[in-house]
Parts: sequence; C-alpha cells; structure tokens
Amino acid sequence: MQAFLNDPMAMILLTGALVATSGALLGTFLVLQRQSMLSDAISHSIVFGIVVVWLLTHAQSGPLQIAGAALTGVLTVFLTEMVARTRRVKRDAAIGLVFPALFAAGVLLLNLYARDIHIDSHTVLLGEIGFVWLDTMPLAGLEIPQAVVWMTVATLVNLGFVLACYKELKLASFDWQLAAALGLAPTLMFYLLLGLTSVTAVAAFDAVGAVLFIAFVIVPPATAYLLTDRLSLMLLLAVLVGVASTLCGYPLAVRLDVSIGGTMASMTGVFLVLAFVLSPRYGVLGHWLNRRVKYSG
Amino acid sequence: MVTQAVQRWIVALSFSAVLVMGASGARAADVVTTTGMIADVAANIAGECLSVEPLMGPGIDPHLYETRPSDIPLLRNADAILYNGFNLEGQLGKVLARMAESRPTVAVGPESMKDDDLIKGAGGYAVDPHLWMDASLWARIVPTVADVLVRVAPDCESGIRSRAANYRQQLLTLDEWVSASAASVPEQQRILVTAHDAFRYFGLGYGIEVVGIQGISTDSEAAIADIRSVVDRVVSRNVPAIFVESTISRRTVETVVDGARDRGHDLTIGGELYSDAMGARGTPEGTYIGMIRHNTRTIVESLGGSVESWPGSLPSFAGSGRSNAAE
Repeated sequence: MQAFLNDPMAMILLTGALVATSGALLGTFLVLQRQSMLSDAISHSIVFGIVVVWLLTHAQSGPLQIAGAALTGVLTVFLTEMVARTRRVKRDAAIGLVFPALFAAGVLLLNLYARDIHIDSHTVLLGEIGFVWLDTMPLAGLEIPQAVVWMTVATLVNLGFVLACYKELKLASFDWQLAAALGLAPTLMFYLLLGLTSVTAVAAFDAVGAVLFIAFVIVPPATAYLLTDRLSLMLLLAVLVGVASTLCGYPLAVRLDVSIGGTMASMTGVFLVLAFVLSPRYGVLGHWLNRRVKYSG
Repeated sequence: MVTQAVQRWIVALSFSAVLVMGASGARAADVVTTTGMIADVAANIAGECLSVEPLMGPGIDPHLYETRPSDIPLLRNADAILYNGFNLEGQLGKVLARMAESRPTVAVGPESMKDDDLIKGAGGYAVDPHLWMDASLWARIVPTVADVLVRVAPDCESGIRSRAANYRQQLLTLDEWVSASAASVPEQQRILVTAHDAFRYFGLGYGIEVVGIQGISTDSEAAIADIRSVVDRVVSRNVPAIFVESTISRRTVETVVDGARDRGHDLTIGGELYSDAMGARGTPEGTYIGMIRHNTRTIVESLGGSVESWPGSLPSFAGSGRSNAAE
C-alpha cells in the first residue's frame, strides 16, 4: 500500500480522478442550472480573499489563506444571488458583475498595499498536479499525499450530498417553481450546491490548480449532457468522462513533455468534441444521417 | 476489496502509460538547478565529475514556470538541488522544501549573500531575487555551489575547488569589464528602462539608474500611471533607448516608445536583454558570462557608450560556444 502511495504516477492519476469525480458530481447540476461559470468566477474572486487575509495576517500561504479563499468563494455566490434576486439583471450578468468587482478589489488592494510583495493567486493556490505525491501527511500509519486526502474527503462529501438530496436537486434543476411549491427548498439546495462547489474549488485549486478544476466541473457534464436525457446516467457519464480524461491526459503529457494539468484539461475537450460529433441522438453526424434518411425515404 | 481492485487497475494503467511514453527523452542529472544561470555556474565547477541540468530552459520565466512530466524524475533522482531563493521560484517553494528533507537542497542566493548586498522592497518583506545581474554578486555563489558539489562527489574535491577558484576569478574579471564599459556611457544617459524590475542589481553594481515599467512579479501589468511617469523621465533625461527582455512581451515597452514619440522624443528600442533566463544552448548567450556580455554590450552601446575590449582570460566565444554545445 505504501509503495502505491509513494508512486508519483499513481498519485497523479488518483488525484486527477478524484478531482474529476468531485467536480463532475457538482458540475452536472451546475450545468443543468446554467451556473457552471460560477466555478470560473470563484477562481478569480478568491484573489480578493487572498489579499485580505494577507493584509490581516501577513500569511502568504497556509490554512488561513485556504479558509479565506473558501469564504470568498461563498461570498461570490451570495453576492451573485443578491444581485440576481433584484431581477434587474439576469443571473449570468450577475455572475459577470460580482466576480470582476471582487477580482478588481483584490488587484487594487494588492497594488495599494502590497506592491513589492510577491503574492498572487499563484503563490497561494497554484497546485501542481505533477507534484501531489510530494506533499504527504501521516494518516492511519501511512504517508498519504495531502491532495489525495482532501480530494477524497471532497468527493465523499459531494457524493453524499448528491445521494441524500438527489430528488431535491433533480427537481430544483428542472422545475424550480414546482420544487418550491412542493416544499423541497430549491434555494437552500442551490446554496448548498454552490457552497460545496466553492470549498471543493479551493481544495482542488490547491491540489491541481484552477484551470483543470474548472475544466472538470464544466466539460465532462456538458459532454454527458449530449449523450443522455437521464439525470442519473448523466452523472455517471460525467464522472467517467472526467476520469477518462485524467487517464488519457497523463500519458499524452509524458509523451509530449508538456503540462500534465493542461493535457488532462485538453482531453475533456476532446471528449466533448467526440460527443458533439458522434452522439447518437444529439451529435452532428447523427443529425445529418437522420435528415438524409428522412428525405431520401 | 473495492479499493484494492481500483488500486490494481490504476497501477496497471500506470504501467501501460509507461509503455505508451516509451523512450520519450527522459532527462537525468546528478545536480538539478532551477535556472540556467545557476546550472551554468555548477556545470563550470563540476567539470566531468557531475552532470548538471536546469529545470527551466532558455526563455522560460521562473515566475511563470510550469512543471513538465520529465521534471518529476529529474528532481526525484537528483543527488542535490540548487535554486536561487528569495521567492524567485515562487510556486516551487513547497516542492523544494520537501526535497530538502531527502537531499542537499540549497538556495544559493540566501546562502551566499550578505544582508547589505540585498535590495529590499518596501516594508522589508521582499528581496529582489535577480542577483545574477551583478557579476560580483554572482561570483559569491561559486563557493556555495562548490560546497554542495563536494558533498555529492567528495572524490572530486580537489578538481571542484580548483575549477571553482578559476571560475570565480573569471566572474570577477567579467565584473571589472562590465564596470569599465558602463562608465563609458555619458553620465546623464546612464538610465536603463526595461519592462520589469529585473535589473536593479545591475544598476546598483554598475552605476546605472534603473527604471522598471512594471513591478517585480511578471504577473501584474504596468499601470497607466507607471507608463506615463516613465515617459516623463525618458523625455526629460533625453534617453536614447529602452530595452525589451527575452522572457517578457514587447508590448509594454512599445507603449512607452509610442508615448515618447508623441511628445517629439525619438526613442528607440535598444535591443533584447536576457533577464530571467539565458539564451539558447550552444550560443554564447546560453552561458552566464555570454549573457552578461550580451546585456552589457546592448545597454552600453544603445545608451551611447562603448564597451572595453573583451578580456583575454574569459571565453572568447569564437566558433560555436563552449562546453554547453554538447546537447
């Protein structure tokens, strides 16, 4: 077991698979509720949290910084909802209003008070999936990479949430009014979903970096969406596409000797394009064949 | 049970990944450094005794470095690791700290410099890490690097020590050459404007005022106020040229040139300087001494001075470079 945990390649793949799984579980609902860009918004607005925590504590990294970043993520979601609730702007515009404001506030503070200090989102939250095997912690007599521990926790919590609230999440995603009328608390579900996204995002940014996590949240569910109409199957396919991207991305990165996170993220895009073209029902190719069959017959 | 099955599956896939990657150029070395500047010092001292390899090749900005898969075995199998320190390798900090637990891992900057040598940012927090810009400072890392190499290869001690003494002498000769060359620039024009603040040690060491258009981190972009104040200084001091750096885009620098032209001051781009990375391997600029020679020539000649004749005790760079040509 320890030999397995000491193998860099196994740990990189395991971390990738865990991030993909935890991301796809939440991402499926985010994509269905048209909230997927919140994961990107969070990645920008946490700069604000990082700068504020630095101004308060002078900590350039560490648990305080992570907590600050997670709180800023929740703040982003909360502010977005507040703006959207006024009904003066649509929700996508609300996302676009809130995260640049927080990001800009962060950059301003950085320029005003920390001009000569090398802090940015990188120093706090630039996880590099290539080095996850290095940062270990003792647990149950084993030395386990921290990223694996925290992403396992995130995956289990997210899985528990989806299983426990499956009915509520499903109805909130497809018929908000009905969910509210039936007393299924869609707003609460929404906050739970985005709160978990925010915390998972920060854990994942720390483990593997922002772009890879955003790719895992959005692209595999979007791919699964092209392949099925059933929610349970979409969840499963999203997880599978995410894990498959990890497993295909790594050897490709090794072969080309380029960024591991970058190739994993690129592989999610390859799967999306494949689904886009080849999906039996929604694929471009299927459509074209269907039409030909219809008109020629 | 399930976890074991998953484990076996992942391990099996890992092995197939190894098969797929086949003989893709695995890099290996006894001593691994972060930047090319440190690698060149180490390679000159190590001679045939130890192999040296930098993580960050030509043109790679250490602030923005991304890990490649071949870096992983390179670091894991290294007998010693040398890095610059003072936060130059920001995102690698954690990795280097972990590496230090299992092998000699030395930050050559903090290890070699005296407190008075350092240029500090506001509040005393950040130290400018671009130490290699002053050859007399960079000469100080030579004994530090030599100590580490001796720890790894005690059998080579006498060779390492003598090559170190010789190389240190070369860097001091280089330092004198840069000083003398910089002094040939008319005093009013001794001002070096570049995109980011990588040249402050160069300026301090050789009596040239340095104006950086953006801050220390290559992440942040220049603010409009920064650009305007730079244009003001360039016009009022009648500066003939400003410079671009090999790791940073030309755009910021070109904005300043346009701003100065709008005010009727003819400003040229003085050429490309090597700031955070050296030139391509096998070229003179792919060595530390060649890089400093190139920067000095470019700066001095663009600002209206003329360089001293190149000292005979330094590599002449005639033909196709030296040891580094073996790639």
